[in-house]
Amino acid sequence: MVSALYILAAALGAAFLLGLLREERRGLAYGLTLAALGFMTWVSATWVWAFATTALPPVEIFTAGTPPPFAINLRMGMGEAALTLLVNLVGLASALYLKETLLQLGRRAMAVLLIAIMALAGLILTRDLFNLFVFMELMAISTAGLILLSADSRALGAGFKYLIVSQVVSVLLLIGIIFAYHVTGTLNIDGMAQAPALLATGIGAIAAFLILIALIAELKPFPANGWALDIYESAHPAYGAIFSAASGAAVIFAVDKVLPIGGAAWLPVATGVGIATFLFSNLLALPQTNDRRLLGYSSVGQIGLVLAVVGQRDVLGEAYGFIAFGLLVSNAVAKAGLFWLSGTIEQRGLTAWAVLRQRPLALFAFVTFLCVLVGLPPFPGFYAKWELARLLAGEGRMALLAAILLGTLIEAGYLFRWFGYAIKREPEAAAEGPRMQGAGLATGWNRALPIAAALVAAWGLGFLWGDLSGRGNLLLALPLLFALAFLVLDWLPAWVKNTLAIGGLTGFFLLTWQEYDPLRLIFAAIFLIGGSVILLASYETKGRRIGFYPSAMLMYAGLVMLIRATDAFGFFAAWELLTLGSYFLILRGKHSEPHALSYILFSLGGAFAILAGFALAGQGAVHLPLDGLAKVAEPLAPWVFVLLALGFMTKTASVGVHIWLPGAHAEAETDVSPMVSGILLKAGLYGFLVLLMSMGSQRLHGVELTHVLLWIGALSALVGNLMAVFQEDAKRLLAYSSIGQMGYALFGLALMNHLGWLMAIMFIINHYVYKSMLFLSVGGVAKRTGTRDMYRMGGLVKLMPLSFIAVLIGIIAISGVPPLSGFGGRWITYNALLDSEVRLPIVILFLAGPIAFLYLFRLIHTVFLGQLKDEHRRIKEAPFWIVLPQMIYVAVLLVVAVVPGLVLRHVDNYLDRFFPQGGLEWTGTVISSNYGYWNPISIMVIVGVIFATLFAWLLFVNRRAQPVKQFNIVFSGERPFRPETTHFAWNFFAPYRKALGFLTTPLATRFWEGITDLLHNAGDLVRRLYTGNGQTYAYHLLAFVVAVYLIRLGA
Amino acid sequence: MVDISLIAMATGFVLILIGLYGALTNGNLLRMIVAFTVADAGVNLVLVSVGYMRGRTAPILDSAVPAAEAVARIIDPVPQALVLTAIVIGLGVTALMLAYAYRLYEAKGTLDIAKFSELKW
Amino acid sequence: MIKRVIALTLLAGLGLLFLGLLLDYRPDTDLNLSARYYAERTAPDLGAANIVTAIVVTYRGLDTLGEVTVLFLSATIVGLVLALGRRRGQAPAGLAPVGELLTTGSRMLTPLILLLGAYVFVNGHLTPGGGFQGGAILASGILLLLLADPLRHFSHGLISAVESLAGVFYVAIGLAGLVWAGGFLDNRILPLGDLGALFSAGAIPVIYSLIGLKVGAEFASMLASLAETEEL
Repeated sequence: MVSALYILAAALGAAFLLGLLREERRGLAYGLTLAALGFMTWVSATWVWAFATTALPPVEIFTAGTPPPFAINLRMGMGEAALTLLVNLVGLASALYLKETLLQLGRRAMAVLLIAIMALAGLILTRDLFNLFVFMELMAISTAGLILLSADSRALGAGFKYLIVSQVVSVLLLIGIIFAYHVTGTLNIDGMAQAPALLATGIGAIAAFLILIALIAELKPFPANGWALDIYESAHPAYGAIFSAASGAAVIFAVDKVLPIGGAAWLPVATGVGIATFLFSNLLALPQTNDRRLLGYSSVGQIGLVLAVVGQRDVLGEAYGFIAFGLLVSNAVAKAGLFWLSGTIEQRGLTAWAVLRQRPLALFAFVTFLCVLVGLPPFPGFYAKWELARLLAGEGRMALLAAILLGTLIEAGYLFRWFGYAIKREPEAAAEGPRMQGAGLATGWNRALPIAAALVAAWGLGFLWGDLSGRGNLLLALPLLFALAFLVLDWLPAWVKNTLAIGGLTGFFLLTWQEYDPLRLIFAAIFLIGGSVILLASYETKGRRIGFYPSAMLMYAGLVMLIRATDAFGFFAAWELLTLGSYFLILRGKHSEPHALSYILFSLGGAFAILAGFALAGQGAVHLPLDGLAKVAEPLAPWVFVLLALGFMTKTASVGVHIWLPGAHAEAETDVSPMVSGILLKAGLYGFLVLLMSMGSQRLHGVELTHVLLWIGALSALVGNLMAVFQEDAKRLLAYSSIGQMGYALFGLALMNHLGWLMAIMFIINHYVYKSMLFLSVGGVAKRTGTRDMYRMGGLVKLMPLSFIAVLIGIIAISGVPPLSGFGGRWITYNALLDSEVRLPIVILFLAGPIAFLYLFRLIHTVFLGQLKDEHRRIKEAPFWIVLPQMIYVAVLLVVAVVPGLVLRHVDNYLDRFFPQGGLEWTGTVISSNYGYWNPISIMVIVGVIFATLFAWLLFVNRRAQPVKQFNIVFSGERPFRPETTHFAWNFFAPYRKALGFLTTPLATRFWEGITDLLHNAGDLVRRLYTGNGQTYAYHLLAFVVAVYLIRLGA
Repeated sequence: MVDISLIAMATGFVLILIGLYGALTNGNLLRMIVAFTVADAGVNLVLVSVGYMRGRTAPILDSAVPAAEAVARIIDPVPQALVLTAIVIGLGVTALMLAYAYRLYEAKGTLDIAKFSELKW
Repeated sequence: MIKRVIALTLLAGLGLLFLGLLLDYRPDTDLNLSARYYAERTAPDLGAANIVTAIVVTYRGLDTLGEVTVLFLSATIVGLVLALGRRRGQAPAGLAPVGELLTTGSRMLTPLILLLGAYVFVNGHLTPGGGFQGGAILASGILLLLLADPLRHFSHGLISAVESLAGVFYVAIGLAGLVWAGGFLDNRILPLGDLGALFSAGAIPVIYSLIGLKVGAEFASMLASLAETEEL
């Protein structure tokens, strides 16, 4: 390895040499610049390699042949090597990206770029305080120079604002340095850190304050960061990449190494400033519409987060580097990539990114960077977040953890909203017509290459962090790899991929089914085999269906990993993966953009609750097996229970956090609706099962928590069903009905008795079958009729008999009347209810039952019965591939109705482990409980006989009936303003609405809308702070300094 | 008797505050730049005042200050080295700000900083 | 008005901080750790009579390299800023003719100023002064020429060649220290000589001369760039 000094020397030498070249030899100058940056990158890379592969201690580099503290020294350790590599790489890639600009501006601009990168490397390497100041000034001045690369004329103003601020900063820093020198007699950072007593009181304390506050001010803390945002907005995107990825990393490293001179008292200050910056930046980012300013806010926030982590290093121990670097490189890679991407897009609005849809690879890069930023698996930020939560909770710093998670959630909010725009919206019309060539995209190989490099780095770092985590690398997990393989295979036609997907799901089930206990086996069967059956409907879609299979398989991979997880980490990782996959799936729907956003936000919010719950339960332990939840003691246990239950409730869409579900399920594609309804919702129930199996019942302040769940379940059942009654849209009706069904299942689990759980299992199976079936048939009908509004349909029974049969069987099953499996569910339910002591929720649950009849009747009546609409006279039965799975479900329902013991029996026996009392007796075809017996076969026979008799009688009575012509009179000569109001199926249950409508007031929706409005308005209000006047920014900076000082004095 | 270095230091601090006050209250770009140079001068004064020691001489070895007696005869050379760097850096930044101010004036025909606030929020 | 009150309040806060520094400040009576080392070791180790110079050029040589770079950077950016905005206009007419006195005087003085500048930086390791001071004096000669004849155009090529060569040699000498002596910018790649002689202190005078040339060239280039913006 060559000395790290060559990094600095190469940049300087090249920058000076550039002056010797004539202005015309720009190609040569550019080549020299690239060569220097390449050499610098190579030097850093060799050091990283050396530190990674050998147990090399950090290397001290002396200058002037004199040891420190008498001469300036540098240090090269793992951290320095990695960061200089990052800085140099970003510099190299940006230089490549800037090819045209640099060639146009000439050697001066290249020299400035070289020196900027050198200054950042120096900032990282040096161990001398004054030398640090020199490099900081170099950074500031080169920043002012590189802003000029921008074609945006406003950049000039931003540069001046930055110079004002940096003047104030350097005044503070210099005064601090000289007095610190006076007190300690040295300028060496380590030398100062070794004399903590000198810098703890009097002059020393003020000097340390000035030094640290000046350095922190360079990190763009809230509110002294308006200048940085202006730079982000107006600078060339390649410089934005350097400013965010490289400068941020270098300065935070400088703060990290100087922080010890302030002693332990400074750690809370760093945390406080960091977390405030993180929260406020993300809040202020909410109302942004300019992509680069939005990225600026996010960058500022991310650096704030890292600063908060730096302030926690006393509790993070050995994981400190893993966490801090994980967050830092996540931000660096993602921001560099996003800024580079933004340079290929001509317009600055967020919707302008819709042009990326023309390039799937760029879109993939975009979404990768967003996931990296949010810290989703399998990227470094995810592992870092997990460890951070674990250690913070172990120290009882839950408030900080909550703030971090809240900020991350807000960030996810605006990032995924942006992604939704890119996927769904139309780009704004370009200002002038002729520029539309390439439709708003400007690329060349030199721009594509850096973006591709960032993409590769993102995945590579994900792998690396997985490897370092010691928790099993997610990128080596077979299900995830299978899902990712579809990214590579996305060029294949859809039917090939569909076959592969079905093969994969079924194959994995066959390989592993013996590994599960009966409960998990049920989930495995629903996820894998059930998933395969639904996928049959996907054969209907022709073409390549880009993006569908990776998303769907990601969801299935997450689901499978969820039931295979044995520890909390695996469970949480799987949870986030399935959330992410299902989000992409839902987003595919034509009008699903807002619903997908609300889905991902609720899900991530829930996921963070789960994360906090696990962290709290683990109390800092490295590994937390899922059954270790049972060992969590008071007073933590009830809180863990509450957090986990909250998380799972977001997935089962329990009342209060249900508002994402109707839109998400209704607007999804025909074959996606059953996936996200019939399959995905079960993940939440699985979570509840795991939770209740290990933690049982918990009391918080004397309240039995399962009792609360009971109420939530009952209310969900009631409200879900009631809402379903008043829907005009058939898919929305089914979606609301899911809320009710999940309410029943949750209720069953919360009963905490044998039959209650059996009932829940029954609901899990039944709901999968009939909800998938109904969504497919309604989807098929919607496909043929072109509408989902029930009042636009009618009389389809003759034209779509198979769909009719499916719906008929489905609603019989769902409503719980004999003879189908729903009745079995009901029977067990009533038995379970009799077993429990609670009364009022039971009444509510009973009330919900008949309401289900109302909406089911409406479904079959208004769609299939009644009069056929004129425009529907020629429609055909739903396509084969959509009908096929429905027929499979019909068969399954019939079989299960006759022999429910096939599955339930095993589960019933298995449940004896948890609840030895109150099981069912299985003798032959008769099933008996404490309260009575149920013989499915005889019920089937009896119902069959009654039905046949009635049908024959009806035929006999109506033998003389004559068909009447339809379509004679529609409106009796009137043309009503809203024709649908004259249709009987419109507002079908008006009287009920009059009576019960008050129960359907969208309280939850209003509540959540109120919260988002509040956040938005707060962000919009606070950002007025940034008046754009450079002088005001100087005020902010001074106010920040004085405020922190006063707070320090007070503490 | 008040030490000369304290007087210098106090003057330096006052200059810094005056400079910053000027920079905070004058909206004219050139005046702001001048105000910052005043503050810079204050900083430099504070820097050298810290190294001063009464009754000693400049850290240059010659016939008056032989190398052997240096420890007892000279003042602290470090702040002097630092101030040199600080002056030069301040000068560089000032030149840069002037160039910026020129371009800003060229762009808008005004030197009022409040007029350069298209970027905000 | 409100602006002034806020400014005063904030500065009062800052002033309070400064006051804390001022009131508690006690001048050293003995040299501290670093200063003592420099006082004792500079002459035997580096052979430089001017201890400040030894610190600037060698002990804290990396700072000085950075400092030179700051100037280089500023000069470059000033050139860049002004080049971007420059309108290629015609040389303005109607300028009052430069008087005989001014022309002759500036011609006479400039070589002397340049000579003084060179003297200051060549002797930087012995006497007060050095590269920066000498460079500034060099540039003041250029300033004089510019003031005397505002329309004079300096060869940017020459200035930037001097600037670049000086910079490259500076870095090269630094690296030579890394290879042949104790570290980057170690001055002991050349013999130390006798304390107080012109040719002493190893590479210090060479480096300081290079700095002098470079600083002079950088200031000159800034001045020239700024002068060319003048709308006459």
